[in-house]
Amino acid sequence: MKKLADLVIKLGNVDRRWIFVIIAIVVMYPLFKPLGLPIRPTESSLQVYNAIDALPEGSKILLSCEYGPSTKPEIHPMTVGVLRHLFENGHKVYVTCLWPDGQFMAREALEQVAENEYDRTYGEDYVLLGFRPGNEAVIKGIVSDIRKMYTIDSRGIPIDKIPMMEEVKNIYDLDFIFCASAGYPGTVEWVQLAADPTGIPMSTGVTSIQVNEVMPYVDAGQIRGILAGMPGAAEYEALIGKAGIATSGMDAQSIAHIVIVLFIIFGNIAFYLERQRSKKTF
Amino acid sequence: MFSAEIVGAWIAVFLTLAIFSYLYRDNPFYKVAEHIFVGVSAGYWASMFFWTQIQPNLFGRLWPALHEGQSLGILGKVWYGIYNFFNLIYPPAFPDGGVATGHGMQLIYLIPLILGIMMLLSVFSKFSWFARWGIAYVVGMAAGLRSYGFLNSNVIGQVKGSIIPLVGDVSTGAIINGIILLIGTITGLMYFYFSKEHKGWFGKIGRIGIYFLMISFGASFGFAVMGRISLLIGRFTDLKTFGGADYHHASLWLLVAMVVLLGIWSFFNKEEKLTKGNTPK
Repeated sequence: MKKLADLVIKLGNVDRRWIFVIIAIVVMYPLFKPLGLPIRPTESSLQVYNAIDALPEGSKILLSCEYGPSTKPEIHPMTVGVLRHLFENGHKVYVTCLWPDGQFMAREALEQVAENEYDRTYGEDYVLLGFRPGNEAVIKGIVSDIRKMYTIDSRGIPIDKIPMMEEVKNIYDLDFIFCASAGYPGTVEWVQLAADPTGIPMSTGVTSIQVNEVMPYVDAGQIRGILAGMPGAAEYEALIGKAGIATSGMDAQSIAHIVIVLFIIFGNIAFYLERQRSKKTF
Repeated sequence: MFSAEIVGAWIAVFLTLAIFSYLYRDNPFYKVAEHIFVGVSAGYWASMFFWTQIQPNLFGRLWPALHEGQSLGILGKVWYGIYNFFNLIYPPAFPDGGVATGHGMQLIYLIPLILGIMMLLSVFSKFSWFARWGIAYVVGMAAGLRSYGFLNSNVIGQVKGSIIPLVGDVSTGAIINGIILLIGTITGLMYFYFSKEHKGWFGKIGRIGIYFLMISFGASFGFAVMGRISLLIGRFTDLKTFGGADYHHASLWLLVAMVVLLGIWSFFNKEEKLTKGNTPK
């Protein structure tokens, strides 16, 4: 028993770089050899799906992209998944960005889904209004008069020459907001300045680290569901029946979580044994 | 043979591996990547803000493009004379005839221009006090914009959200959840009430609040781990893609090269390793 305790204590003090190597291996392995672990949608992801699915055909949806390359693995699959769902149901999509990098992410997602997969027409089925600096002020501008913020779109086309902008003066002319957010400005600001004051329904997809901050809005009914990090994106892919990059990353995510939990348990046991031993020494 | 895409992939792989190399210890690869990141980020943001905000929204409103045959008065000619001077210096930002972004002339935008210049004066210690005006405006505007949002969504909205009916058409699970939410909210708030000493029954309530807070911090930690693993998966997915034949096995070659070079560097820097112990925390 003493030998086992010695071993546990010794392993508990192992160089942290070995832990990095183990995490790297367990994350990499499922990427090369997928395990096909099942993905079951959670209640919050289901809420997002139902909210979007219930919109009548031809609804006008504002999709705001507040993320960049650093959070792309978590948020981009959500944007792609939601775009697929929106175009599948024949909605019109208006894309705005409060983050400068968001414009490039949105362009990539639209190119993949709107142009390559659904063959939609720019200006009639979707428009990329693009990035405007100003954070909350941009949201306020969209709420009061979209033309004050956007005189041209991301392609330099005057707003008044875009057919699908004809009937849109401000946010009241839109039917739904979806915010793909990785921080500030993002979901919280859209809730505070757009969804709550106007009553326009809103859903969101956020990074894992933001979930605790945004979840109270979901529980209070201010947001209709939330896609939480990469698992949320994978669940949405499962709901629309189109597996994408989030689904392929979920095996690695699950295995890595198990290993981290084991490390935490093991580390605590080692810490406990070490403390007991030092108590006996004194 | 080497397209821009392939070169981009090699750069991406190098930078990814250089950042990962910090997990071994602080080293020249990491330092190079770190400095490139800071420099590129600063340049990217400055350029992005200039071309998406200052040029179209500020200059576009101060010197909008003139229509064909539009005549200007004396003041107008002087005003566009200033513009023509800028046009001589940097035509891409100040194209001939004004900035065509669909705006009309709005001279009120001289105020943000002046405030912006005042903020830039902070680099000179003698004039740094000018910056306070600009900062005061930004702080005041942000406070005004956010105060309504916070009151409406974070106070009223959340109070409404925490009022859950315990009778009527409500499931047992929802009732239990509602009670837990109520206890957690009240005890959590009590913990942050410092006008009464945390002793006796009041201390016990505060202690329950701590447990709720600890559960919340635990959940935050769990989500943070999940987020970091997701980002790691994203980088590994890219490394896997760029390790393919289409990209001339960029990941593999660069990994081998970096391991060899790091090994050599480590061999010649043993002393530094022992004295500084500069492994990641």
